Parts: sequence; structure tokens; C-alpha cells
Amino acid sequence: MLRFAFRNLFHKKAYFLASVGGMALALMLILSLDAIVNGIQAKITTYIDHSGADIFVSQPGVRNMHMASSTLPLTVLDQVRGVVGVESVTPIRYLGNIIAAGDDRYPAYVIGLPKDAQAGGPWQITQGVAIPKDGEIIIDRGIADAIGIGLGDSVRILSKEFRIAGLSEGTDTFINSVVFISFDDFAQLRGNTEAISFVLVKVKAGESPTAVADLIRTNVGDVNVQLRAEFATQERRVVGDMSTDIVTIMNLIGFLIGLAVMALTIYIATFARRREYGLLKALGVRSSFLYRVVLTQTLISVVIGLVLALLFTLLMSAIVSLLDVKLTLQVSPASLLKVSTVSLLIAGLAAVLPVKQIAQLEPAAVFRGA
Amino acid sequence: MTNFALQVNGITKRYGSGTTEVAAISDISLTVAQGEIVLIMGPSGSGKTTLLLMVGALLKPTEGSIWLDGLDLTSLNERALPDIRLRQLGFIFQDFKLLSALTVLDNVAIVAELAGMTTKAARRKAADLLTELGLGERLTFLPEKLSGGEKQRVAVARALINEPRIILADEPTANLDSKIGLQIMRLLRHIAKEQGRSLIIVSHDQRIKDIADRVLWLEDGRFKDMVTMVTDPVCGMALERDKATSAVWDGQAFYFCSEGCRHEFLDNPARFQTHQDVISSPSAIHQEHSLD
Ligand SMILES: Nc1ncnc2c1ncn2[C@@H]1O[C@H](COP(=O)(O)OP(=O)(O)OP(=O)(O)O)[C@@H](O)[C@H]1O
Ligand SMILES: [Mg+2]
Repeated sequence: MLRFAFRNLFHKKAYFLASVGGMALALMLILSLDAIVNGIQAKITTYIDHSGADIFVSQPGVRNMHMASSTLPLTVLDQVRGVVGVESVTPIRYLGNIIAAGDDRYPAYVIGLPKDAQAGGPWQITQGVAIPKDGEIIIDRGIADAIGIGLGDSVRILSKEFRIAGLSEGTDTFINSVVFISFDDFAQLRGNTEAISFVLVKVKAGESPTAVADLIRTNVGDVNVQLRAEFATQERRVVGDMSTDIVTIMNLIGFLIGLAVMALTIYIATFARRREYGLLKALGVRSSFLYRVVLTQTLISVVIGLVLALLFTLLMSAIVSLLDVKLTLQVSPASLLKVSTVSLLIAGLAAVLPVKQIAQLEPAAVFRGA
Repeated sequence: MTNFALQVNGITKRYGSGTTEVAAISDISLTVAQGEIVLIMGPSGSGKTTLLLMVGALLKPTEGSIWLDGLDLTSLNERALPDIRLRQLGFIFQDFKLLSALTVLDNVAIVAELAGMTTKAARRKAADLLTELGLGERLTFLPEKLSGGEKQRVAVARALINEPRIILADEPTANLDSKIGLQIMRLLRHIAKEQGRSLIIVSHDQRIKDIADRVLWLEDGRFKDMVTMVTDPVCGMALERDKATSAVWDGQAFYFCSEGCRHEFLDNPARFQTHQDVISSPSAIHQEHSLD
């Protein structure tokens, strides 16, 4: 059966190439878009991922950073510090805003960082200092390069000037960058507020972050407590929600193109062989055998198409990573699973019409007309 | 001869219904002995293909029964028919009908495999059979690379591989030039006689008459007078087969004008080992008949 399916498939090379090629392109559309979204989502949470905090404490109802503002009274800090299992607490002040240099304007997460921060600061410094003093700012190296400024130059936030004291790496989240100013400068920007935005908690070695988070929840009232991974998931979800519709539509288009290409080529291939299938029926071959042949052919084409699509997408992400662009492509197992499922669905659906066609073949027709 | 491979009892096939009803076959009976070669001839539209389809378990007669190896095809469930076709019947077509994507070997082996043989055994058997038929050098060829005669020999191998009791051939020589066509028919005759397989051929080809044991003339869905003329191998007299006494020797039936000739033949058959020709063509019979 396999031999017959393979031979049928490879006998007409043009059909085979058309179906596999079309399939590969359609699946690549889905895979690469997923990879782009994954790449973006991985970058979105770069600050949270690298913050060094195990637990994020925020104002009740605030679950992420993007487009959110959290306000906590300073008193929360000591309450959290007192919880068993807490190694250190770092308050940060946070605001989503714009950094400006001349006419250049870049959206940024502005972080107000205490002098003795145990978490939440820049994690890779290429030049200058890691903790900003008053009047100083640490900005992303890539952004600085793009604007054409460096250490000692100044940028504005809310029309206040800051002098660049450090350049950080990996702080570009694709939709914005992360900049760091001093704790007190931040308070001034916001009208001398005493309030803080988040408390970044590190737990003691050997302690379970989940257990400590539970303790904070029970001991400190009126706060939202999340593990780092939960906080990151919420952050991704915000961006995910924004791109979900586009991704869904593009996935659907990819699916439909794949289905159309596959269904058409398999239908044509079966149609071209209908006399041979009719002959086999006349010779006493059961239709179920022929269904299996057609289904095997579709499966083989689809699997080869899938492998090609994956190879192309991986190749593309490798090429993109070599180029100096912000974009990164990440093929996730979940996306691969989705595309594989889509492929199987396509194979099954594409075989429906040919199977019907075979079912209707009249074996007696072999003796009627050549 | 008592060992019937096929027995057709009063079958009728009507197509359509009501005013558009046509009887393609009307009340036909026929018995075919094991190893017998029957040629069915007749004008276009006379019902030859319809008859072949019914005998081939591809079409149910409206009335009557068809017995194949002790089984009544007409009483069998539709779902049982493919297996009968696969194992008990061999088919040979005018246009060969080989599978274009498969090699010569696979074209033959696939049918054996589908009948339950392992791939390995099926391929070995197919290779042996094809080699016997002179295609040993062509096993890996695709059908498109073969001549017409070679293709038909592959088709013959395919029809034989499951060792069917009956082989049905529809115009097997129509797409071959006359020399090759005759070779194929001699091959089929040889196989039928050697292996005791019955052969039913539908053809317009007059030359095939030479290799047939019996020629039937179908017209308007009925067999016309089947006066088959044979020659007594002893005295050379032409006689009506059905009225003659007969003897079977070496798998072949011989007919005699009298008991005397029959005894003389049986004393030393080798002396008369000539092919017993059917001398009267059915068309000639038909003409004689219509002059009546
Ligand atoms: N499926 C069908 N429906 C209706 N009528 C049919 C059908 N098949 C055959 N017939 C009719 O039955 C009659 C016998 O047809 P059949 O094909 O058996 O003849 P044939 O002897 O094989 O002819 P030919 O030598 O041209 O192949 C014809 O009149 C034909 O028109
Ligand atoms: Mg016909």
C-alpha cells in the first residue's frame, strides 16, 4: 500500500512539487507569524524576566506593567520585609512614558531605582554605572546608538533633563525600552509623591516563592501578589490580546491556503488516476484500500510540507538574528503543535473529496470504453 | 466432461425500466468446462460486454443464476464480490490497463499482495511468472517503456498470479498487431490447457477462432444457433460437435463421427496429435442460419 501510494505520489513530479510547495508556503505563513509574535512576547517581558525578583507586589487590580499604573503606600515595604522567608525587598517607581532627545522620541518604561536596589536594576551595563544618582539616567545602548548620543549627553523625560550615566544592553522590549533614574528624581517628576509602584521581593535560598507569596498575601492587606512567571504571563497577555486578532486571521488564511492547495492537488491527482482506481476496484480491490492510498498520499505531502516549512522558518529566524534588527523569531513547541494539528486537519479535509470520488467509481466502467 | 468451472443458468439483464427498458441479455445459459476456451463473438450492441460483466461479478443479472466453482454469484452479498473477482477471476483488457506509476513487477505483485500474500512472496511469485512469460528483463520497467505485446503479457501475468479458475478477456488483441495478437492468444491457450484454467474471450478478431474450443455467436442478447463444426481427427470428417461422440485426451476434448473412430483414436492418441480445428466460423454459421 505504502509503495503504491509513494509511487503514485512521485510519479507525477509536477503535482507533487506543487502540493508540497504550496503546503510548505501556507504552513510557513502560520509558523513564521507565530515565531514573530513569540519573539516579540519574549522581549516584552525582558525587564520582568531579568529583574531578579521572585515575587512582584502591586496595587490590587494591577497585574502587569504595560499601560498600567500601580500605586502602593511606602508602608507596604516594611510589612513585606517582615514576612518570613523574604530575603530582600526593593521598591521601584514605574511610569510608562517617553524619553526625548532633540526631535527623537522613544516610548520607555521609566524605572525609579533606589540607591540600594537588590532587584529591578539594569542587568547588563556596557558603559558607565548601573545605579543612577540624582540627575542621571541609564538608557538602552541600542536606543542611544539610534539617536546618536552617549555617556554625558542628556535626554528629557516630562521636560526634565537627565544626563546619561550608563548604557544598558538587552533593555529594548521591541515596543519600548527600559530606562532607569534615581528614586528621588522619579518622586519629583510625579510631584514629590511618597508612593511607590511595585515591591520586588527576593526570597531566601531554599524557600518556595509560592509559599512566601501566600504568606505575603495573608500578612499584608490590600496588595496584589504574583510570582515572576505569573506577572510575565499577564504582561504577555496584554500584548497578546492586541495581536490575537491579527494572528488568528493570518492563521486562518494560512490554513485556508494550505487546505485549498492540498485539496486541489490531491483532487486533481486522484482525478487523473480515476481509471486506474476504477480498474483496481474491478480487479477486486476494496475501496477502503484506495481510501488509505489517497489518505497516505495526502499525509506524506503534508508532512513533507510541514518539515519544509519548519526548516524555512528556522532558516529565516537564523538569518534575521544575524541582521541587526530588533525582530527575533522564535519557533515555540506550542506553535509547532498547532501547525502539526492544522496539517493533519488539512490532510483529512483534503482527502474528503477524493475519497468521495473513489467511492463513486463504478468498477464495471472498466469494460466500457477505453 | 463433468468438471464445470462456470455454469450460467437462464440469465437476463434488463437496463432501465418502464418504457425505456432494454433487455441486453435475454435468457442465456452456458456451461464452461475447466480448461475450456470459449470465444464469444457478435455484432456491436449484442450484449457481449454485459455478459462478460455478469460472469465477472461486476454486474448482477436481472434474472437467472451464475455458478462459479460451486458458488452462486447472484445470491452473494455485494460485499463478497470483490474477493471473488480478486481470487477466482482474472481479467484481461483491450487496452492492457496497467498502473502507470508502478513497475512491471509491482503491477503484478500488488494483486497478489492484495489477495493476502506477503510483499516478499508476492514479488517473488510475480518475478517468476513474468520471467516465464519472457519479461524477465523488464521487471523494473514502467509500463510506458513497454511495447503493446509486452504490456499485454504483463496483463496476462497479472490475471494469472492469483491462480483464478476463469480468465475473462475483452478484445485482448484489438490493440496489438496481428502477429503479436496471435502470439498472445497462443500463450493464453497454452496456459489454459496447461493449468486447466477456463478462458472466456469476447472478440471481433476472426483469427482467435483458431485457438478457441468453442465459438458462440451472440446477437440481440441471445446465442444464435451454436452449431459448432469440428473435424474428426481420425477420418477428417467435418461434423456438428454437439452431435458427435467425444473423448478427452491430454486435457483436450476430441470429437468423432463414430465409436469406431473414437476407439481408433484412444488406441494410440499420439498418432492423431493434431490440433482439432473448429472449421466453421460462427459468422458463417450465422449466415447459413439467416439463409434458412
Ligand atoms: N448501463 C447501460 N444502461 C442502459 N443500456 C445499456 C447499458 N449498458 C449497455 N446497454 C445496452 O445494452 C446493449 C448491449 O450492450 P453491450 O455493451 O453489452 O454490447 P456489446 O456487445 O459489448 O457491444 P460492443 O461490441 O459495441 O462493445 C446495448 O443496446 C446497449 O446500448
Ligand atoms: Mg462491448
